[in-house]
Amino acid sequence: MNFANLTRRFFNATHQLSRILTFNTIQRTNFVGVRSISTTPFIYNESNINEDVNKKLMEFFDDKKNWNENDVKHGRSWQLPELRIKSNTDLHKLWYILLKERNMLMTMEHEHSREWRWWASPERLDKVKDSMKNVETVVRERNRAYYELETGEDGEVPVVKQTNMLGLVEVRRKREHRIPLALNRKWRENNPGPTNERDMHRFLKLYREKNYMVHRRSKNRARNHVIRLLRRFPDLDRNILKQKYPSVNIDNLGRRDKFRGHYVFKVD
Amino acid sequence: MSTRWYPLYQKGNPQLRVFLPNFWMKLLKPAHQTQPKNVVCFEVSMQMTKADIKNYLEKIYKLPVVDVRTRIRMGRFKREERSGYIIKEKDPKLAYVTLPKEVSFTFPDLFPEDNETKKNLKDDEKALDQAKEKYKEFLDRNSKRRDLPGWFSI
Repeated sequence: MNFANLTRRFFNATHQLSRILTFNTIQRTNFVGVRSISTTPFIYNESNINEDVNKKLMEFFDDKKNWNENDVKHGRSWQLPELRIKSNTDLHKLWYILLKERNMLMTMEHEHSREWRWWASPERLDKVKDSMKNVETVVRERNRAYYELETGEDGEVPVVKQTNMLGLVEVRRKREHRIPLALNRKWRENNPGPTNERDMHRFLKLYREKNYMVHRRSKNRARNHVIRLLRRFPDLDRNILKQKYPSVNIDNLGRRDKFRGHYVFKVD
Repeated sequence: MSTRWYPLYQKGNPQLRVFLPNFWMKLLKPAHQTQPKNVVCFEVSMQMTKADIKNYLEKIYKLPVVDVRTRIRMGRFKREERSGYIIKEKDPKLAYVTLPKEVSFTFPDLFPEDNETKKNLKDDEKALDQAKEKYKEFLDRNSKRRDLPGWFSI
């Protein structure tokens, strides 16, 4: 067996392995494969297991007293300054509370929409999502600060600029790969890069023209608007206008026909 | 985002841990009556695998999970009402989670036709009737005064 064949076989095997593996688990204890999932022993009370499990599953549903309400009273979402003074452990606990709350609200929303019923206070879901976003922002800030202190770099995902098939530059977040890029034939087939240069340049020309036209139209629109404003209100503050419409050259507007209006000046 | 940057899985320790999982799960009403009592149907986020679902329920909800089966249901095709073009709903991922055989879970009846619902409905209807009466009064105010429009009043 020659070397190329051997490497291909090896990378096929790793590729299959990577398909079996999953990266987003909460905690992986004992990896074997998909069929046999982690085998952590679960301790529960054998005698009233039914009652126990039912109670836990009811966490997916709202409080029973809220079921028939037209309006559920609730607070506001967690704001950034409040979260910044919390410890990491507190944030971690809060995240799981919010996660459970979101699951509950999503379950209720799904069931209500399926039954064509009124669901009380849907803004609760938005508030929970907002809180989760804020928690994540704070954790990210801390992570960034830690990495900058320890390594001198922010621990963010590195980003590469890449020219795609259309010749446009796109920004891609880097991630780890099992197979080196040079050996990954499938990836190269799917991401050919700029291939047909003639078509690419033609496309880019039209694309630039389109962008230019959009820009020019917006500029003209702003200029005409300023002319109309000045015709109607001649004593407008020019400095404010300049600030609001920076693309318009207000001092030269007087030369335009539109600025004058449809009348002849009275000459004595 | 840095907290959402997962390194590749390597066998052995230290294990990959996700501290802030952003997966969601919805508990669904069983579509068929044939679904066993100890099986619960969830709609889960598309990225979740069987191992993830099992871990999620065991670690966060402390549920004893025996087995997980997943499938991806095709989203429905609909015709857009005005323009008539066809739109497709997104494909939900469903997980059928088997719990120990002693468990029997029935999906709760969220909309019982009890007195309170009826009372609420009656209150709404009452308000609506009142509004209707008021409007009729408003319209009939000038009905006896001829040659004046209905909205006219002093």
